[in-house]
Amino acid sequence: MNQPSTAAAPAAPEPAPDVPTGPPRVLLTGIAKRFGAVRAIRHGDMAVHAGRVHALVGENGAGKSTMIKILSGVEAADAGSISFEGRPVTIGSTGDAMALGIATVYQEPQLFAELTVAENIFTGREIRRGGRVAWAEQNTRVVELLELLGLPGHYATVPVGTLSIAEQQQVSIAKALAGEATVLILDEPSAILTDAEIDVLFTVVRRLTAAGVAVVYISHRLDELFRIADEVTVMRDGETIGTYPIGELSVRRVAELMVGGILSDERPQRQVPDGPPVLELDGLGRAGKFEDVHVAVRRGEIVALYGLVGSGVSEIAACVYGIDRATSGEMRLNGERIAPRSPEEAQARGIALLPANRKLEGMFGFQSIAFNISAGHLKLLSRFGTWVDRARERTVATDLIRRLAVRTPHERQPISAMSGGNAQKVVLARQLVERPEVLVLAEPTQGVDVGAKEEIHRIITELADSGTAVLVVTSDLPEALRIADRLQVVRGGTTTVEFGPDATQVDVLAAAAGAVDTPGGDAVDTTAAEQPDDGKRPAGSGATPEEVR
Amino acid sequence: MTTTAPPPPAAAPEREKSEGAGAKVLRALLTQRIALLAVLVVVVVVWFFVLDAGGYLTAAYDFDYMSASLINAVPLAMLGLAELLVILSGRGGIDLSVGAIVSLAGMVFGFAYGQWGWSLPAAILLTAAFGALCGALNGFLVAYVGFPALIATLATFYAFKSLAIVVNNQSPISTPPIQQLFSITSSVELPLFGQYVPDVPLGLFTFLLPTALVVWLLLARTTYGRRLYAVGTNDVAGRWSGIPVRGTRFKAYVYAGLISGLVAVVTVAQFASARPDAGVSGNGMALPAITIAVLGGVAITGGIGRVAGVVLATLLVVWLNAGILLAFVGNEGSQYQLLALGSVLIFAALLNGLTTRRYGGTR
Amino acid sequence: MTATLSPPSGASAPPTRRARVLPAPVTGQELVLVGVIAVIWTGLALATPAFLTGGSIRPLLVATAPIALVGVGMTIVIITGGIDVSVGGAIMVCSVLTAKQLVADTGLVPAVLLSVAVGGVLGLVNGVLIAYGRVHAIIITFGTANLFLFLGLQLFGSATVNGIPQTFGIFGRGAAGQTLGVPNAFLLTALITAAAWWYLRHTAGGRHFYAIGGDPHAARLAGVRVQRRVLLAYLVTGLLVGLASCFVIAQGTSTLDQSVGTGKELAVIAAVVIGGTSIMGGRGSVLGTFLGALLVQSVTSGVTQLGWRSQLSDLFVGIFIIVAVGTDLLRERTRRNR
Repeated sequence: MNQPSTAAAPAAPEPAPDVPTGPPRVLLTGIAKRFGAVRAIRHGDMAVHAGRVHALVGENGAGKSTMIKILSGVEAADAGSISFEGRPVTIGSTGDAMALGIATVYQEPQLFAELTVAENIFTGREIRRGGRVAWAEQNTRVVELLELLGLPGHYATVPVGTLSIAEQQQVSIAKALAGEATVLILDEPSAILTDAEIDVLFTVVRRLTAAGVAVVYISHRLDELFRIADEVTVMRDGETIGTYPIGELSVRRVAELMVGGILSDERPQRQVPDGPPVLELDGLGRAGKFEDVHVAVRRGEIVALYGLVGSGVSEIAACVYGIDRATSGEMRLNGERIAPRSPEEAQARGIALLPANRKLEGMFGFQSIAFNISAGHLKLLSRFGTWVDRARERTVATDLIRRLAVRTPHERQPISAMSGGNAQKVVLARQLVERPEVLVLAEPTQGVDVGAKEEIHRIITELADSGTAVLVVTSDLPEALRIADRLQVVRGGTTTVEFGPDATQVDVLAAAAGAVDTPGGDAVDTTAAEQPDDGKRPAGSGATPEEVR
Repeated sequence: MTTTAPPPPAAAPEREKSEGAGAKVLRALLTQRIALLAVLVVVVVVWFFVLDAGGYLTAAYDFDYMSASLINAVPLAMLGLAELLVILSGRGGIDLSVGAIVSLAGMVFGFAYGQWGWSLPAAILLTAAFGALCGALNGFLVAYVGFPALIATLATFYAFKSLAIVVNNQSPISTPPIQQLFSITSSVELPLFGQYVPDVPLGLFTFLLPTALVVWLLLARTTYGRRLYAVGTNDVAGRWSGIPVRGTRFKAYVYAGLISGLVAVVTVAQFASARPDAGVSGNGMALPAITIAVLGGVAITGGIGRVAGVVLATLLVVWLNAGILLAFVGNEGSQYQLLALGSVLIFAALLNGLTTRRYGGTR
Repeated sequence: MTATLSPPSGASAPPTRRARVLPAPVTGQELVLVGVIAVIWTGLALATPAFLTGGSIRPLLVATAPIALVGVGMTIVIITGGIDVSVGGAIMVCSVLTAKQLVADTGLVPAVLLSVAVGGVLGLVNGVLIAYGRVHAIIITFGTANLFLFLGLQLFGSATVNGIPQTFGIFGRGAAGQTLGVPNAFLLTALITAAAWWYLRHTAGGRHFYAIGGDPHAARLAGVRVQRRVLLAYLVTGLLVGLASCFVIAQGTSTLDQSVGTGKELAVIAAVVIGGTSIMGGRGSVLGTFLGALLVQSVTSGVTQLGWRSQLSDLFVGIFIIVAVGTDLLRERTRRNR
């Protein structure tokens, strides 16, 4: 897998050899930006060319989103210059960016739930006829756009709030395409899309680049880059490390450039003690969400439930934890049938859950680390269940901070000031206060940088070693393969195939995709940094510029 | 090449390490609402002392006067604490109905103590319980049914206000037992060292201090306080960490109603009469109470706010108002109090906005 | 393409190009309001046969006008996700200033223009502070409510303004204030409501108010000039407050006392909320507000017609708010669960 690559990376964004001549569509030089005391970007250089897909990668906090915000006019740079088609320009507002044809699809759909799809797409650039909006004309355009993206045309007049998240994401893309885009910025568009939807997205992207649009593509799924990107700019600690043609890179090389070191990919060898299952889901189902789910987790075992977004995998976790109620089948804890009606009840039975959406479901923003850890365990950390035992709270917090290697000066630091990985460790720490018998982890490392990811994996393994039954619910296959003793694939709302520790990505992905054969299937074996070594050479297996045209 | 370098918003501090002493003080004042309020209280008091010494005031602004004016702080601070609780609970928490509860609970107190001949403790207990019941209606609508707090309490404001007026045919209750209650709001000499300090209104000790102490203990020391801050900060995360979100929010409204019931007793005593419009006449009591809470640094979005801030904000407003009364003749004084309250509130709010942008928030 | 999980409502109807480009012009809530008003009027007509006469209906319509008119502005403000609790104070300022001008023999047109201009200035103050101060509207308008009240009381000077001439009779209850038997104040309000309804529904500027209320950040990203729009919403409210103040003066006798405007902010908000506008922003209609104001006024006058204690009407207003918003919440919940 470690194929020879250009060891000496270009230090500055020199144009790659096969880049078209002429001035780049957009050139950012010497960009710097700070927010208060935080230097989000120290030095940013990037040249995006017409008709090319330019990937921008980096760990969380490396400065990718700030670069995008500067390019799309949301933030103004403190220093540096931007030129468009060789002309120097000032992008001081989103309006300025749009006037240049720079369109952005943000990570979270920026839509208005009460307005129709057509209105959403045209907000800010309505087609006006004699003072009023030309609704019918807009609608016709929107129906075309929707059909291009594979959505039914009649969605045009439906309020966006009634669509699913993935559909909303596609509406955002339609919104970006509605104008005359010269540069299209896609900020992690694939994070919430299913594989089939990603294929549609890539088809659209290729069509756009063929028409001469420059595309800036940001993604955490490094394997995708090899299917779509022509060049890759890597950012680390607020600086652009360099720009590389995709042919010179491999997934591993990109990951190493991002982290600035060499990655180990050893999967820890574990022995799972025999014994009866602690947690059993026996034909569990919830109407309209999932059905007939069979999972059993033993003491000290790590079982992964792997499923693509929309497969029902996240709903299963919510049911185990009492957020939702199951409508069929049964759940057993140590052989005893249980049906938790609330998280309180689940907790009382020794079930803990790390929620998937850290910001929304996990963090108490401006409260301290200690507050965040003790929330939900106040009975335990109090005298007579009424008075908070603050000394004990501090002890527990500092203890967990040490155990989980949370980087912070003290436990009174507000969690909102921490990086994604550190904040995730704090939320994880909350689940460990009462030493749960069963720990459910939903997307434990989503949006977490590579270093913290490894540490979280180590913590999970240690927990299992000490006897906790761990159920990892994830849509991150390399992660599932890396940490799980057994892996179950969820597809179409039900558990299907089970794999042991020696499963390969190809097998699992094929099982997860089921009968649907994804056109990008040939790239699956390049998925990410920590994949088991199967020796296939990744570079070149993705879309080369020639194929894209 | 054009440099895209407009002035960075809020001129980021260049030397964060070597911040000067002046910058440190400024930062402390802007980020620590308590410090700012304390400074403002001192400024106001010193300013009126100077005016007094210069003979610009119609009467003496001294410690006796300041102490006597504290009787106005009792209902204001208590309702400010009630608003603190509901605003803390998040999701747009607010209670517009506290004034109407004061009116209605005051009538209940008037009936119980003035007409039915209940003993004072029993009547107070009944009034507090009734206030809590009114608060429970708000809490039920907001926490369990899902009404926006502004709407639910607007509706109950109308309902309670209407009931208070209708229940005794629009007339106040001022029977002899009620009239004699005025004594509990009079000033008393403190024991032990009382002769060295001014007399203090009794209501301060019987109602305000116990309420403030209990609310402080509740918020800063109990598990309920923790849950309230948690729910106010992020109720979804609260649910996922096993906190009973609805119950926690519900109780905040109940406690606010309970405090309003106590304020009703104070108000009846102050007026020596149970007036059906006591809490809603003119500007009402809810608006000043919310103003006090916001001035005290309570974030309208929930999860941020402290008892000390509310108490200091009350002192600031009460002593400012007391001074203004002396600085103008007749009716003018009460009008200028409106000006002062409005300006101080807008100033504090804009300051909050600035602080958030510059230092990432206030505490 | 993957099968979409949940076909949204209305998905069953295959669209023809021109049909139903927008949601239905009249919402369910508005139809219900029309029904409720009809029921109340019928009930009152049965109880007191004198109700359905011009002498009884006309004052009701005149009394509805100022609330409904300010309600138009308030609806726009609430659609943007804001609120304005200072309109009571603003009404006081405008009406006392204008009334004093009338006493000084100012003509109809200059007086109305003055009132509207003063209202506009007050609205501008709110708008600037809210749009550019980045502070929640409820806090700013609580503050300006106190300032406006101060200003109004200062302008009053003595207790009341006396001897106001009948210059504004054209907006009043008398014969001078009618066109074809309908009060002018009501007609004007209906006209302005209709114009606002069309503007909010059919122009880009109007739709932007909804976008801002739905998600101000997304609106900014879409190129909507959020701050200007927000400023405009409060400015419009101020201008309408100015006009409504003229109606308020015209309704009264020849005196104006210091209670003018008191509690009007809550009455207007109640009308808006009963009309189905979401206090969270992003959804609402001025037509609903108009009906909401009419409903509130019908209840108020109904209570007096029946000889009940007039303060009882507030209880009904409270109950109507709970019922109106409660059904809306229920509908929303079933929609989400579907």
